[in-house]
Amino acid sequence: MAATLRASAQQRFCARPGAIAPARPLFSLGAAAGSSRRLVAARSAGAAGMAPELKSAIDELISKNKVVVFMKGTKQFPQCGFSNTVVQILRELDAPFESVNVLEEDAVRSGMKEYSAWPTFPQVYIDGEFFGGCDIMIETYQSGELKETLERVMNE
Amino acid sequence: MAAAVTADALRAKLESALQATTVTVTDTSGGCGAAFDVCAVSPLFDGKMLIARHRMIHDALHDDMPNIHALSIKAAWTPAQQQKQQQAAAPPGAGTTA
Repeated sequence: MAATLRASAQQRFCARPGAIAPARPLFSLGAAAGSSRRLVAARSAGAAGMAPELKSAIDELISKNKVVVFMKGTKQFPQCGFSNTVVQILRELDAPFESVNVLEEDAVRSGMKEYSAWPTFPQVYIDGEFFGGCDIMIETYQSGELKETLERVMNE
Repeated sequence: MAAAVTADALRAKLESALQATTVTVTDTSGGCGAAFDVCAVSPLFDGKMLIARHRMIHDALHDDMPNIHALSIKAAWTPAQQQKQQQAAAPPGAGTTA
């Protein structure tokens, strides 16, 4: 069943309480609550830090899905060349993946930079761990390492 | 307004932070200073995973990242890898189709 993370907490992510709070969820999850694991240390956690609700939602998303791409745009309509490249690579390798459009929600966009300690998008998570950005996807695709990793993960 | 980032400034930072022996930074933005390709060769990359090498580059350029829209790290090699690449004389990715 598809549980959605409706951000009743979303108001809290919003800088201005009175600002437009879209009804859409932050992102949709493949399944309901579960335990999180193997968090990527947010090395560059700023003074503010990210909202705990967002952090746990991301924990869950990446632990419930073998491959998650945090990208600009959607897999149907990537809005950035680098994000598009990653989508094409995963399609080429027949790897099912979940995607999150970071352009939809500023809290997710800034939050993921902190969560992954990575300044750019796309960000690819494989098997619950940060795998890399576009350049790493290209390099490991060309070396065959990505295919190996995906095959191992998918067969787990 | 933040000052525009220049390829020269980024190269200097990478050279000093990574003790890089070879650094090429190409401004791919068409002049606005917001998109760069980076290749770096550093002995500090030795024994480090690709992801860790990329993090080292990000860290070195940390202060400029807010003003950079796109940073593409084309290569993060150790000196030994650079030598191997030069001997192979084939660019990375040769033989794959776009």
